[in-house]
Amino acid sequence: MIQLDGICKSFGENEVLSSLDLSAKKGKMFVLLGSSGCGKTTTLSVIAGLTKEDKGDIYLDGERINDTPPHKRGIGFVFQNYALFPHLNVYENVEFGLKAGNKRSTRGGNKTEVKRALELVGLDGFENRNPMKLSGGEQQRVALARALATEPECILMDEPLSNLDAVVRERLRHEIAQLQRDIGLTSIYVTHDLVEAMALGDRIAVMNNGRIEEAGTPEKIFYKPENEFVARFIGMKNIFEGKIAALDEDNGVLQVSTGNFDLTTVFVPSSVGTRVKACVRPEEIILAKSDQNTNVRSARNEIAGRIVSISQNGPLMRVLVDVGGDEMSVDITRLAARDLGLNRGDRVLLTFKATSVYMIL
Amino acid sequence: MSLSFRISLSLIAGIFFGFIVVVLSCLLTATSFAEFAGEIRSPEIISAILLSLETSIAVVLLALLFGIPAAYILATKRFKGKNILDTLVDLPIVLPPLVCGLAILIAFGGDGIFNRFDVLFTVKGIILAQLFVASPFLIRSAKTAFESIDQDVMDAARTLGASEFYTFKKVSLPLAQGGIASGVVMTWARALGEFGATAMVAGCIPYRTETMTVGIYMHAMSGDISASIALSLILASFAFTTLIVFKYLGTIGDGNLETRGAAA
Ligand SMILES: Nc1ncnc2c1ncn2[C@@H]1O[C@H](COP(=O)(O)OP(=O)(O)O)[C@@H](O)[C@H]1O
Ligand SMILES: [Mg+2]
Repeated sequence: MIQLDGICKSFGENEVLSSLDLSAKKGKMFVLLGSSGCGKTTTLSVIAGLTKEDKGDIYLDGERINDTPPHKRGIGFVFQNYALFPHLNVYENVEFGLKAGNKRSTRGGNKTEVKRALELVGLDGFENRNPMKLSGGEQQRVALARALATEPECILMDEPLSNLDAVVRERLRHEIAQLQRDIGLTSIYVTHDLVEAMALGDRIAVMNNGRIEEAGTPEKIFYKPENEFVARFIGMKNIFEGKIAALDEDNGVLQVSTGNFDLTTVFVPSSVGTRVKACVRPEEIILAKSDQNTNVRSARNEIAGRIVSISQNGPLMRVLVDVGGDEMSVDITRLAARDLGLNRGDRVLLTFKATSVYMIL
Repeated sequence: MSLSFRISLSLIAGIFFGFIVVVLSCLLTATSFAEFAGEIRSPEIISAILLSLETSIAVVLLALLFGIPAAYILATKRFKGKNILDTLVDLPIVLPPLVCGLAILIAFGGDGIFNRFDVLFTVKGIILAQLFVASPFLIRSAKTAFESIDQDVMDAARTLGASEFYTFKKVSLPLAQGGIASGVVMTWARALGEFGATAMVAGCIPYRTETMTVGIYMHAMSGDISASIALSLILASFAFTTLIVFKYLGTIGDGNLETRGAAA
């Protein structure tokens, strides 16, 4: 278990970590998610002892390790740019930690450990290769094997896949997840990639400006974030400020009024007049032409609007609809867009369930 | 590139290279093989050659001993006054050797703070003077080599359980090898060719403090020009060899770390 308590770190005037708290459970994969420059690498560097914190405490399995030098912390590190030893071959790279830590018993006694580590990452037979001549994916495997060979207490991975092409990235991501689960290694994995975070994390912490905005399970972070920054970060487009206008406990719903329109959502004990932020995921909205007669009565929300723009959004189409002054993003399939014959300026009807609306209180 | 431009460029370059070749070949034409062979058998010349080799090699070893730690600290540590120290290292490069020599002369002279050391007009003095003038080349070159090592690579060593010293020994030094070797060659060449500071500190005592450069000056001034030429030709051949070695090391150093790794 790795725990950070109130870690502060500045580089000159630039405060990079501001009272950061974090707790990564033993044997689990903890993902630190945040955009570039928010302090992710610095956080890992502080945990590993490569960067000295200005303030705060670092605990490894309950023991304070602030004053333990990096080579005595037993924390493995996998770097974004692999950081292999260019003057050593693959075998010597993997063996480095065993020799450095003086874990060598007899002459040539590291052979089995090195072989096992290389087998773990699928690089058996690569012993005599020059690491600089390997592909990016293979280099990162060597780096992984090198870190695992020393059997660290835990491992820190700093965007290990970000320099790889999409196919290799996905394959290696699966392998890292598998490996981590098999070994049960306490891991902190840094990424700016939502998909990676979602796929790997037992827990995800979203980082912003040198602190953690929210930490939770992937489901929590991606579907019901409690923090507006996190909601926006994970791509929640439709966030509206409003007030609770009416409570209907009998039907299990309540009304939120944004001023421009009303939204119906599931009942939560609260009081009329409370300021909230109401969120609807773009893919939960059904779009219909206003002149067509639709009957989706199970939906509790029906809002009329006018299309502002239609654009490509990955495999989907992102339709921006003006709803009485606010804008709502709607994701529909390409097929649906074609069938409906949508154009800019078309009047449309947005329908979605009450359960699709959730509130940040 | 227009033809006339190309011709004028070649002309200018040609004049420059021609001048160098003509001047240097004057050394060769001013002597004969028999004369040269006779001179290099003279005990005084042999003593000068040996003294130059001994002192310059001692300088290289001392420069390694003091220069590598200095270069490593300058390259990897942050501390107050680092810029001052950095400038200080370069100072002997830009300072006229005579000035360095005079400073040593005063420091180790009768009223100097180091006057209890018997250095002036001795071989120790020669080594000291050469070290003073030549070691910055090694420090500079090694520092650049240490600086160009990826910090992450050294950090990786630390997270793998390597102490700072082990990392220095097994990662920094091997990766800085090329730069250190170039520095050694430059320092050695500079020490071998050192005249001003050496003459100032150790004088020109035949068989005792007469290095090759000092000998060239002394014999030329006393009219024994064939001895000067013999020493000059030997020095020139050393320099030429150095240059070739240096060019070779340069091509290694130029290749990034990746290609150097291939040799491992
Ligand atoms: N050694 C350093 N010296 C000065 N500034 C640094 C240093 N390391 C990081 N920073 C600054 O700290 C901020 C956060 O950096 P980093 O932790 O690398 O972010 P991330 O990994 O999330 O992209 C950046 O603004 C960066 O410029
Ligand atoms: Mg980073």
